[in-house]
Amino acid sequence: MGDRRGGRRGDRALAIARKEARQLLRDPAYLGLAIVVPLLLIMLLGYQLSLDVKGLLVAVVDHDRSPWSRQYIDAFVHSEYFRLVGQLDSATEAREWVRSGRARVVIDIPPDFGRRLSAGERVAVSVTVDGSFPTRGQIATGYVEAIGALYNQQLIESRLGRGDGGPVWPVQMELSVWYNPTLESKNFIVPGMLVVILMIFPPLLSALLIVRERESGTILNLYCSPAGRWDIVAGKALPYVAVSFFDYLVILAASLWLFRVRFVGSVWVLSAGALLYAVCTVGIGLLISALARSQLAAMLATFLGTVAPAFTFSGIFTPAASQDAVGQVVSRLIPATYFMEVVRGSFLKGGGLAPYGPSLLILALYAAVVYLGAWLALRKRVG
Amino acid sequence: MAGRLAAMIRKELSQLLRDWPILLFVVWAFTGAVYTGGHGISSEIHNYPLVVLDLSRSAASRELVSRFRAPYFKIVGYARDDAEVVRLLDGGRASLAIVIPPDFERRVHRSGARFQVISDGSQSTSATIAGAHIAGIAGGYSAELLERRLAAAGRGGVPQVEARVRVEYNPNLVEAWFAGLLEVLNQVTMIAMLLAAAAMVREREQGTVEHLLVSPLRPAELFAAKIVPVVALVPLAALGSVFAIVHGVFATPIRGSVTLFYAVSVVYVFAMASLGLAIAVVSRNLGQAMLLVLLVLYPMMLLSGAFTPPESMGPIMRYVGLLSPVRHYVDFGYQVLFKGNGLAYVWPDIAGILALGLALFAISVRRFARLAR
Repeated sequence: MGDRRGGRRGDRALAIARKEARQLLRDPAYLGLAIVVPLLLIMLLGYQLSLDVKGLLVAVVDHDRSPWSRQYIDAFVHSEYFRLVGQLDSATEAREWVRSGRARVVIDIPPDFGRRLSAGERVAVSVTVDGSFPTRGQIATGYVEAIGALYNQQLIESRLGRGDGGPVWPVQMELSVWYNPTLESKNFIVPGMLVVILMIFPPLLSALLIVRERESGTILNLYCSPAGRWDIVAGKALPYVAVSFFDYLVILAASLWLFRVRFVGSVWVLSAGALLYAVCTVGIGLLISALARSQLAAMLATFLGTVAPAFTFSGIFTPAASQDAVGQVVSRLIPATYFMEVVRGSFLKGGGLAPYGPSLLILALYAAVVYLGAWLALRKRVG
Repeated sequence: MAGRLAAMIRKELSQLLRDWPILLFVVWAFTGAVYTGGHGISSEIHNYPLVVLDLSRSAASRELVSRFRAPYFKIVGYARDDAEVVRLLDGGRASLAIVIPPDFERRVHRSGARFQVISDGSQSTSATIAGAHIAGIAGGYSAELLERRLAAAGRGGVPQVEARVRVEYNPNLVEAWFAGLLEVLNQVTMIAMLLAAAAMVREREQGTVEHLLVSPLRPAELFAAKIVPVVALVPLAALGSVFAIVHGVFATPIRGSVTLFYAVSVVYVFAMASLGLAIAVVSRNLGQAMLLVLLVLYPMMLLSGAFTPPESMGPIMRYVGLLSPVRHYVDFGYQVLFKGNGLAYVWPDIAGILALGLALFAISVRRFARLAR
């Protein structure tokens, strides 16, 4: 059937690919943006964005002003997690500070604090945490708990002493951290951003490919040409998959040598995943492009349909297992989740091909479905 | 002059309102996207998946395990051996493992027992929070054991500080309250920039910009005409979203003045639309404009303080962040809608948005005037 239209199928697709590639290369601004923008983003993120929450602003209302209370306050201030911004006189003033955001945490120490502790009694301290940013609120709560527990341990040990054969601290935890032993946020942000950045640029660029020709009318040239639907879809996708894969290589190089992100897995498995992912993301753009009526509509659909969910649901910030029902469903529907498993695993966990086989397979299936969709969508307009 | 401007605004408005795919996306951005976004980004731990390997199988170990409970932790399984623990952690089914040694109970009563916590550090923020909670759990359990023991021996109490934590504004730390509102604020930012940029780029791509240049419209008028429809549409959509989704679906309490929120949103959309126009002027086609929008948008959003609190950023970024209108708007939005703060608290944010907005408008008009010559 191909011969009737002149040229072999592969040749026609390649010809279209050559034309698209030339068009891409001839617009230096376009190509520059396609490569420079992702790089700039990863630079900014790698160097500047840290999710380690440190130096939380804490204010203290100390009604006791005894050595005991000062020691308690010191336990907080001497950790890197809190920064003392002020000693206040009243609870009202403290509320005001939380309200205006000058303090995120207020510790209110009652007047009988020292007396009760020296008498061997239990004493309550009220801690107010600003919950308007829940993650930060939870981190603050966690730190307060942990520092408080350590303080209590020292308090009890110094009171009871270890010498009298009596009680020592009964239960201790031994924490070992796997996959990212130093708990540096760059080790999960940079690989995570690889997934998100590769979801942003390739589909946004490819989403314009068909609809642009439709808007300017040149799509008729394609319809009249001997190129079939597969030739058009494959030919248009090819150069963009190549650019996307190139982006991947550059970001990978930056992650490894510039940011020195931990990498324990196989580059080959990761690259296979990246290639499948690039095919997928470009295909999603093409599918949208084949359906959309205007470039702007295509762009917005891509943005809202792929980019935003990738950022939110791929598991970059929240472990997939702790997302709620809606989140679970959405995360299973987007390719970013599967690529994220391959990326996280390759960077931090390792283990060869076996653990990532299912994810790679799903990415491949995903690509097949997307291209079939693009092929079907294109027919409507041809007919 | 007023007639010219009005005619141009009318044309822009009807063009926008007739473009139903675009309107559909604006609607989706402020409903569906906000709804899904409300379920999204968070580093907090909520049902943090935990696997237990209890080799002690004693009353003491069971009591320890029982302290790992909702809403923070969710026990996803009891492993039989080390291999199973490793498998669950490797596969990402569990993010945390508690391993209790066989002699746990005996040592609790004698020399001090240890249990092992293995934490998946690949999401370092969550891992840090989880570690802090576990330290709290272990400490609380120890203190209680000591107290019981001393009470049994008739030796009185144990000195202890108990921190009673009260969380203001969001007592149960419901993530959707925060994430839903953040999503609205981010959509305002994105849609304002994109719509304005698109309206201008379209003229450039179709060549109709030449018509506008030779028309009696002055650059500032042309710009105003491009911005007005966006300013009319986006803040209204945001307001609708705040009522319908943020308040209606997520039941987020709206404590402050909605009028103030609307008024400042108008100014903010004006600022972001100006930025969108400035980008459209320097780019030749929609693809370029879009990439530039993203180049500007992502850093601004990341510096907004919603992901990393400003006080935890490096000193340079903390001040660079002040140049991001998003930073002021996010702060303003939370203070007004969520904390119920009034002008006395948010005037610095408003001043920032105004100053940046005027600067952006001036820059984009000047760039356009240069293009015209």
